[in-house]
Amino acid sequence: MQTVKLAAIPAAFSSSCFMFRPVTKTLGLISRRNHSQKPPFRLLARAFSAPALQTIDTTDNKGGVAVKPQWKAAIDFKWIRDNKEAVSANIRNRNSNANLELVLELYEKMLNVQKEVDRLREERNAVANKMKGKLEPSERQKLIEEGKNLKEGLVTLEEDLVKLTDELQQEAQCIPNMTHPDVPVGGEDCSIIRKTVGNPSVFNFPVKDHFQLGKALDIFDFDAAAEVSGSKFYYLKNEAVMLEMGLINWTLSEVIKRGFTPLTTPEIVRSSVVEKCGFQPRGANTQVYSIEGTDQCLIGTAEIPVGGIHMDSILSESLLPLKYAAFSHCFRTEAGAAGTATRGLYRVHQFSKLEMFIFCQPEESDSYHEELIRIEEDLYSSLGLHFKTVDMATEDLGAPAYRKFDVEAWMPGLGRYGEISSASNCTDYQSRRLGIRYRPSQPSSTNTKKGKGPTRFVHTLNATACAIPRMIICLLENYQQEDGSVIIPEPLRPFMGGLERISPKCS
Amino acid sequence: MQTVKLAAIPAAFSSSCFMFRPVTKTLGLISRRNHSQKPPFRLLARAFSAPALQTIDTTDNKGGVAVKPQWKAAIDFKWIRDNKEAVSANIRNRNSNANLELVLELYEKMLNVQKEVDRLREERNAVANKMKGKLEPSERQKLIEEGKNLKEGLVTLEEDLVKLTDELQQEAQCIPNMTHPDVPVGGEDCSIIRKTVGNPSVFNFPVKDHFQLGKALDIFDFDAAAEVSGSKFYYLKNEAVMLEMGLINWTLSEVIKRGFTPLTTPEIVRSSVVEKCGFQPRGANTQVYSIEGADQCLIGTAEIPVGGIHMDSILSESLLPLKYAAFSHCFRTEAGAAGTATRGLYRVHQFSKLEMFVFCQPEESDSYHEELIRIEEDLYSSLGLHFKLLLFLAEL
Repeated sequence: MQTVKLAAIPAAFSSSCFMFRPVTKTLGLISRRNHSQKPPFRLLARAFSAPALQTIDTTDNKGGVAVKPQWKAAIDFKWIRDNKEAVSANIRNRNSNANLELVLELYEKMLNVQKEVDRLREERNAVANKMKGKLEPSERQKLIEEGKNLKEGLVTLEEDLVKLTDELQQEAQCIPNMTHPDVPVGGEDCSIIRKTVGNPSVFNFPVKDHFQLGKALDIFDFDAAAEVSGSKFYYLKNEAVMLEMGLINWTLSEVIKRGFTPLTTPEIVRSSVVEKCGFQPRGANTQVYSIEGTDQCLIGTAEIPVGGIHMDSILSESLLPLKYAAFSHCFRTEAGAAGTATRGLYRVHQFSKLEMFIFCQPEESDSYHEELIRIEEDLYSSLGLHFKTVDMATEDLGAPAYRKFDVEAWMPGLGRYGEISSASNCTDYQSRRLGIRYRPSQPSSTNTKKGKGPTRFVHTLNATACAIPRMIICLLENYQQEDGSVIIPEPLRPFMGGLERISPKCS
Repeated sequence: MQTVKLAAIPAAFSSSCFMFRPVTKTLGLISRRNHSQKPPFRLLARAFSAPALQTIDTTDNKGGVAVKPQWKAAIDFKWIRDNKEAVSANIRNRNSNANLELVLELYEKMLNVQKEVDRLREERNAVANKMKGKLEPSERQKLIEEGKNLKEGLVTLEEDLVKLTDELQQEAQCIPNMTHPDVPVGGEDCSIIRKTVGNPSVFNFPVKDHFQLGKALDIFDFDAAAEVSGSKFYYLKNEAVMLEMGLINWTLSEVIKRGFTPLTTPEIVRSSVVEKCGFQPRGANTQVYSIEGADQCLIGTAEIPVGGIHMDSILSESLLPLKYAAFSHCFRTEAGAAGTATRGLYRVHQFSKLEMFVFCQPEESDSYHEELIRIEEDLYSSLGLHFKLLLFLAEL
């Protein structure tokens, strides 16, 4: 793969200190509103954008200790300033806690200090130049004095510049991504159904939920897992193992056909990478497990290690789009979800998932978003599921998402729709933090000095191809038979050694 | 599955305090001896048996703070006492740091204190019974006094009993398992080759290592993984992903044919379960990753969650043998292995593994051991590999 690694974001500011403000807003997933129509559950938790927290201290620490920052987002302050009404409206629509006024104020201050710093540097250079020539002793002495004053003034100003830059970063990182104009504004009940496929299956016998079905078929064990690991853990047994493998194998072959490169990824990553993707490893009620004694975390989704693959790189345009299908285990604390007592596989701490991820040119991200949702709809139709595709409203978008489509499948045993996948267009939110750019190819008429034009940030998109537990719920509940057996949908059978049905075991 | 769950190990002693001694012996994996014949790398690291460490304190803490114990092993002290020469020889052969003399001493003490406690309880019951009848005030007063003294004496003795029991557990947990008579005694160079299959392939061109091959085939990425996660992490790409899935699918179907029940397992488990399987989550140079803010660890092998499936249970004989083939991701710190700089996939922090696990009756374990190794030989032969089978030395 041809990539050019960047040492670091060539920021105008070279700072080394961050002042961190603790995460005050809870994860979007946790505060669930009650609606008459049972709200579907969100698969992916995204915290409101807040900067990296270095300590677990949750007191408001505005005037507190400066801690060494880990990284900077390449935020386009000028653009924000020039589009402040749109940015402000967007912050409001998304119910974000970002402080735009403060950002703009700090930006102005910073520009002024930068100007002053540049001016003083010029003067100091001028003085240095003057001193090169032949001078009277008194003149030389005057210049030396002047030089010294300028130097001291500079040191102070440069310190101020560093502090301002850091504070600016901190505040600006809270600003969520802009929003696609077609996205409905408001809460969950404002989301728009884009498409409905199929109908709820009709049963002429009492319908069981997956938990009951699985127990009778001896394909799960939650009790032993509760002893060994804790609640929301499970063993899959017998045909459920074949089902997981069949789903992964089938889904992988389907997305490979569509041009995706298969990948398996690390499941332990540096916490800075988690942050750069828009997650909060150390917020209160974080979804992220941390490893003791290290600066590492467990991934909640392969989106994180895949986004990180091209961290701090400049990709050649000819490589784009890059389309990956990444398989990994995912780990989530589900902190704050304890109240929503749903038994079985609905909400678990560990699961297998195949995730699609695209790096592309900015102009193409909308159409790749459409492509991703179409792939998901094809996959779930092929499996005979009944589902609706929803265009999520602004208050349900995580900070990185410009637009998000969720697929909610009918789960007859639970009597409601449950989220089985999510497709997000993150535009350049993640790439500005991960430092992923590409170099547009130059037309032959342009002849820059080194043949290199300016780079642009790529756009990133991610979409769930297959989240195993939710798929198992759908398959068990929709394909259950009166005798408690479950039919395997046709497409999966070749990937399960020809198995056509999971039957109750004689006990 | 018919199992009867036990509330707790019905130990003769009901204690609540443990005194912990820090792990002083390093993991067997770490100290590698240099031999002229390149020693094979051990896949599984086992620390020398040492009791659960509740704190990360590594100073010798013999007289230190008593910490609430998590669990007790049901150790057969009487058998150890009755076979002390064999146990002692075994400890020596395995280069273990267990202190058998101390264990036996504590056991005797504990038995004596237990006897005394029982005696005092009997006397106290006798006194209580006497007080039920009609008595002279002076007699009643005498009995009350006697009862009080017995009670105080009991309290002290019972406290001693608890301390002794805990110390005994702690020391006894260090005693390694007994050894099969055919196992060669000594270090790595004493292992016996049981079987050799195939021959090293002959190439008529310069041979490349997997790292070079993989790079050229664009099926790995170690560089990106080093940025995202750190060294010894990797992405598999393209055909390597198909290879992993093919290997798992094929191996799983092969072992299912041979009567193994397929399983996937939790990869986060309580640290007590890790300890009960014989690993050291909190020792220095531990192989085990711990979860921050929880008493949980990442598994280094599916052996741990599978062993835990039937924790604290009584299984009906008709269920045995139970044969599981468990698929999981495995996580290992490989602490202390930093010096053995081998590039590529040889030593990594995370990998996929299919593990066979058998629960059986005692008389049958030798033959199931033979069955398991036969299955492995069949699998690797089928794939056309050249390999040798080693009978392991007592020190590991």
